[in-house]
Amino acid sequence: MQLDNASDRDNASELGSVPDLGSVPGPGPATNPEPLLQTIELTKRYEDGVLALDRLSLEVAPGQIYAMLGGNGAGKTTTLNLFLGFIEPTSGEALIDGIATHVDPLRAKERIAYVSENVALYPQFTALQNLDFFVRLGGRKSLDREQLSTALDRVGLQREAHNKRLKGFSKGMRQKCALAIAILKDAPAILLDEPTSGLDPKAGMEFTHLLGELRDEGKAILMSTHDIFRAKQIANRVGIMDRGRLVAERERHELAGEDLEALYVRYMAGPSEEVACLA
Amino acid sequence: MFGLIVRKELREILGTPRFAATFGVVSLLIVLAFYLGARNYGHARTQHEAAVAENLRQMEGLTDWLQVKPSISLPPQPLASLVSGISNDVGRNVTVMGLGTLRASQSRYNEDPVLAVFRFMDLDFIFRVVLSLFAILFAYDLVSGEKERGTLRLALSNAVPRSTWILGKLSGAVGALTLPLLVPLAIGGLLLVVNRVPMQSGDWLRLGLVVLAGLLYVAANLGVSVMVSALTHRSSTSFLVLLVLWILAVLVLPRSAVLLAARSVAVPTVDEGLSQLGRLRTQLWAEDRQAIDTFLQESMSGEPESPEAAASIVGRFNQFFQQRSEARSQALEAFEARLTEQRANRQMAQERWAFSLARLSPAAAFSIAATGLAGTALDLPRQFIDQARAYQEVFERFQKEKTGGRSSGGIQFAIRVASVDGEAPKEEAVAIDPQELPAFEFRAPSVAAVLHRTAFDLALLMLFNVLFFAGAFVAFLRYDVR
Repeated sequence: MQLDNASDRDNASELGSVPDLGSVPGPGPATNPEPLLQTIELTKRYEDGVLALDRLSLEVAPGQIYAMLGGNGAGKTTTLNLFLGFIEPTSGEALIDGIATHVDPLRAKERIAYVSENVALYPQFTALQNLDFFVRLGGRKSLDREQLSTALDRVGLQREAHNKRLKGFSKGMRQKCALAIAILKDAPAILLDEPTSGLDPKAGMEFTHLLGELRDEGKAILMSTHDIFRAKQIANRVGIMDRGRLVAERERHELAGEDLEALYVRYMAGPSEEVACLA
Repeated sequence: MFGLIVRKELREILGTPRFAATFGVVSLLIVLAFYLGARNYGHARTQHEAAVAENLRQMEGLTDWLQVKPSISLPPQPLASLVSGISNDVGRNVTVMGLGTLRASQSRYNEDPVLAVFRFMDLDFIFRVVLSLFAILFAYDLVSGEKERGTLRLALSNAVPRSTWILGKLSGAVGALTLPLLVPLAIGGLLLVVNRVPMQSGDWLRLGLVVLAGLLYVAANLGVSVMVSALTHRSSTSFLVLLVLWILAVLVLPRSAVLLAARSVAVPTVDEGLSQLGRLRTQLWAEDRQAIDTFLQESMSGEPESPEAAASIVGRFNQFFQQRSEARSQALEAFEARLTEQRANRQMAQERWAFSLARLSPAAAFSIAATGLAGTALDLPRQFIDQARAYQEVFERFQKEKTGGRSSGGIQFAIRVASVDGEAPKEEAVAIDPQELPAFEFRAPSVAAVLHRTAFDLALLMLFNVLFFAGAFVAFLRYDVR
């Protein structure tokens, strides 16, 4: 992990201010310093030799949202895949509540909920049927229909849509269903892969608001995103990734005087451009 | 967890319009197969009974059992109407004489060739072709499709063991595609009862085993579909691979096996055998003629001195001719038996080759099992001819009892001694009673015998299931869900 906080702080005057959060609840102080999600020198090199992740170390404590920013191939999704146990790390480890995902993936996965970029549920099932299946699959057996409906109400899915098949749902509606599944699973940690990608502004705002609520309930949330605006709006900490490396990391209070977009563009431009910019 | 995945899979497959449409068509085909099978059976039964009656009618008026050449026919078998096998292609009638080789002629398709153009869609065809495609259609995207949709990532982000997931999906798919088939099959069974097809308990058992073999075959197709689906990452690729495999297994491999076997083991044709037999007959007849000439020259050098002397000459000639005739017949019979045995041995060797190769295809294994269970496999003509031979012996004994001789189908000489006034002695001709003729009854092999013959193919179908399901299981454990 290579950070350049000092030089970034020197350029703080160039950066803009934090946008108005409106009704979105802002991040509060972390109450538990023990990280629920953690990577330690996590490295992944694929069979074809591509180094997808290079000694990544990050931590997400309960009640925190960590936003991973980065372009395509930065290693964001690889990080999530390692947390989900879909791939094995080359070295280092991804820990969920102290459990290494490559050592005991099933026990680790009991503690996470996952929402993907293109929410995929069964199109011929209704919203409630999808919810029922995935929540049971997540280990919650005793939820009745009303509890499922309440969760859908909470994420803002209209009642008349609860018994409709998902094949007619917009991406925003499917995203709400996925978030309802994550809520009902009641896992202490949530992984989100580009959750606001493709959502209209209203749906994006609603989604961000719900994330804020979940964070305030003490969930540890790790999200990968391209959406700098949302990241700055909701995250307690932002990490910028490039070619598998975490090249910059900022606490929320550090972003107050920084233009995150400029910072992102600067780091994404690569080391030579960064030097030129600093000069 | 396992039950949850099974229920999900059942609901996912059964709830689609694709399933409703496809299952509706398949159900209709199955019910139609039973209905038409029952009707065909009734029709064939009527034809058989008419043939038996006509056979007896043709004997009316005859006065000598030596003139009787009964025609026996293969009665229609109830299961043959559901799994026709080769029953429509084999000769159903045999003309029995006291002597000589028996040959079956007049197959169903020989009599009604139009039926052979678009053959009857029986259970063998429905399972082997339609339902195997049905299985592929519903299982080709069972894994790769979930990956494409993204539901696999979401599902496996939970604490679900991959083994539980794939076993649940396999079990759900097998249940969803096989259990509903029991409904049209039960309706079909009911149609057999309503149409009064005389199904004995053994027939029901054999039909049940045909259905079991069919379900095993459908399950094997599901297994291979899931396996291929778990080896590919795009459902379009999976479908293409499965389509190629289906063409190879259902259309190419069984036919290639037969062609290869035919090239490897040459079987002399019936015409070749008849030609050899004809040459021997000509040769023996020439020898006999020479012997007869010699006999006549030696015995009839001049006019007989008296009627007694003439009668003595005729008596010796008859005895001589009878001996030559018997010897010739025995030589021909022995030669023909040798030819028949050689041909049968070559045929069986060819059949073993062809079936051994064809059994690499589950479709062929199912067909062999189904036709074996229904009694319409390749051994049907052998069974018919064997039983016709047994009847021939019964008939020969019957003829001997009645006449002291047997009909050979050849030329018979009648040497009459004229009386002094030149008129033949008059005999009282008495018509035979056709009802005295021993009845021919075809006995289908017992259930135990059928099971013994088909056990290997049933076991093979189970083995295909184990292999494909294990393959699907292992492939999924290593599957990249990203």
